[in-house]
Amino acid sequence: MSGVGTIAESVGSGRSTAASVAHDVAARLTEAASLNATLHWSAAVLDQQAAALDGLSPAERTTRPLAGVPIALKDNMVTTDQPTTCASKILEGYVSPYDATVVTRLRAAGAILASKTNLDEFAMGSSTEHSAFGRVHHPLDASRVPGGSSGGSAALVAAGVVPAALGSETGGSVRQPASFCGVVGVKPTYGRVSRYGLVAFGSSLDQISVFGKTVDDAARVLAVISGHDTRDATSAPLPPLVLDAPRRNLTGFTFGRPREYFPADLHAGVRAGLDRTAQALQDLGATIKDVSLPHARFAVPTYYIVAPAEAAANLARFDGVRYGPRHLGASGDVQGLYRATRGQGFGAEVRRRILIGTYVLSSGYYDAYYRKAQQTRALLAEDFRKVFEEEGVDFLLTPTTPTPAFKAGEKVEDPVAMYLADIFTCAINLAAIPALSLPVGRSEGLPVGAQLVGPMFSEARMLSVASAIEGVVDAVGEVR
Amino acid sequence: MSIRREDVLHVARLAELEVAEEDLPRLVEQMGRIVEFVAQLDEVPAGDSAPPFVAGPAQLTLRPDAVVPSGLVRQPAAFAPEFTKGFFSVPRLGAMAEGE
Repeated sequence: MSGVGTIAESVGSGRSTAASVAHDVAARLTEAASLNATLHWSAAVLDQQAAALDGLSPAERTTRPLAGVPIALKDNMVTTDQPTTCASKILEGYVSPYDATVVTRLRAAGAILASKTNLDEFAMGSSTEHSAFGRVHHPLDASRVPGGSSGGSAALVAAGVVPAALGSETGGSVRQPASFCGVVGVKPTYGRVSRYGLVAFGSSLDQISVFGKTVDDAARVLAVISGHDTRDATSAPLPPLVLDAPRRNLTGFTFGRPREYFPADLHAGVRAGLDRTAQALQDLGATIKDVSLPHARFAVPTYYIVAPAEAAANLARFDGVRYGPRHLGASGDVQGLYRATRGQGFGAEVRRRILIGTYVLSSGYYDAYYRKAQQTRALLAEDFRKVFEEEGVDFLLTPTTPTPAFKAGEKVEDPVAMYLADIFTCAINLAAIPALSLPVGRSEGLPVGAQLVGPMFSEARMLSVASAIEGVVDAVGEVR
Repeated sequence: MSIRREDVLHVARLAELEVAEEDLPRLVEQMGRIVEFVAQLDEVPAGDSAPPFVAGPAQLTLRPDAVVPSGLVRQPAAFAPEFTKGFFSVPRLGAMAEGE
């Protein structure tokens, strides 16, 4: 499968047609069906998009930065030509009456929306096992999970079905599956990409994010979907991202290695992958410095108060009144309708998070949990601000996940164990800053990811640094 | 702080969520573990403080107050479970039914 830049150049210049790209994608989606990574796609929708692009004049086609590039979308971003279910029975069969802003921008850039991908229901999970439509299989080992919640998008990029895909992050839902599947995952600064048309989970944390087979693939897509949108009040008033040229030398850069992210029990393969990355950074001329993020251990408990509280409020809209299937309760009144529709429509993990979120917001517990979590969130954000602004650190280098991909079923019955899969990612969402994961080797055949974390709106620089690492680290070689 | 069966039923009522009787013991146990886990925040040193943090732009900008077309490609009747004469239809309120 060619990269984003190659396809766009080829289709944009007329050397190949969007129709041939669409045809190849359809074949690959069929071949990859056993991954269960795709919830909706149709050859007719693919052909329709390709025909529209091939019908443009050559002059018009060359102006499309993603001409003919097939991109998969997590099924929590709304589209008018395919269903949007959030992998939940409560939205089964729902087709949106409008497109998300990212979808509008991808279409305008000439991309082909290849498919809607499987996820943990409403993006709540870290393994893509909590889907009402069955779990996604890891492309390298079907007995393992691809990570989550954007596991379908990660698996399709890793399997070479598409060169790039969109996912969404609330606590690490793109970086963690990117790490598990051996692809690049970029979580932009909160506000960099419009959330209009992203089905809300935790509104102060949610951010549409990008998977790419390479740093360049992800960067090109991020450049297209970023930029201010008047339809999202939290969208930053900034123009679309302008990419830096890839770097080959990192002289003058300082990378912080937070000691809290390298605990004694860190998986040996992950540690080796990070050691190799640190060495590569030094070889490229950078300085490595040990730093501390003193409140890091409170990130997961903070996240699992803030995110469920916001989810409980956001998911109140799914009540069987305006969209989705309706269940009438035994009482025959409107309250019975709400309770039955929600009780039968939501899966176990979503129900659990709604209950926890309602609990921490309820009278008598609000101060002890929610208010305390907001205060801790501020401390976590302050920890990051200090290392970037006061300690001269350009970027932090950490593992993305504490282990490589785990076995399916291993954590599904233990919510706290599953939550800890986000231990190195969720503080970044709480602090609203950008980060990315890139593959830096394999441990016993399974990908290991390194995470770069940067200050607000540092994506262009961070991507250029990531491309320097990508150029020298063997992403598929066994680490020792 | 342990979670009791009554706590689960109480928040389920607040959340308008039907919980099946057979799911209750597991929910009580799992919610108890989650609440115990998040209670670690009690260990945050009391003296630690930071300026309040709000994600997003420092200043929210308002859109111009102008009427624009909705841009919907299909109307509510096409996706609502029940839609009558321009309204989403629902069963009557329980309280009203009792008063009649």
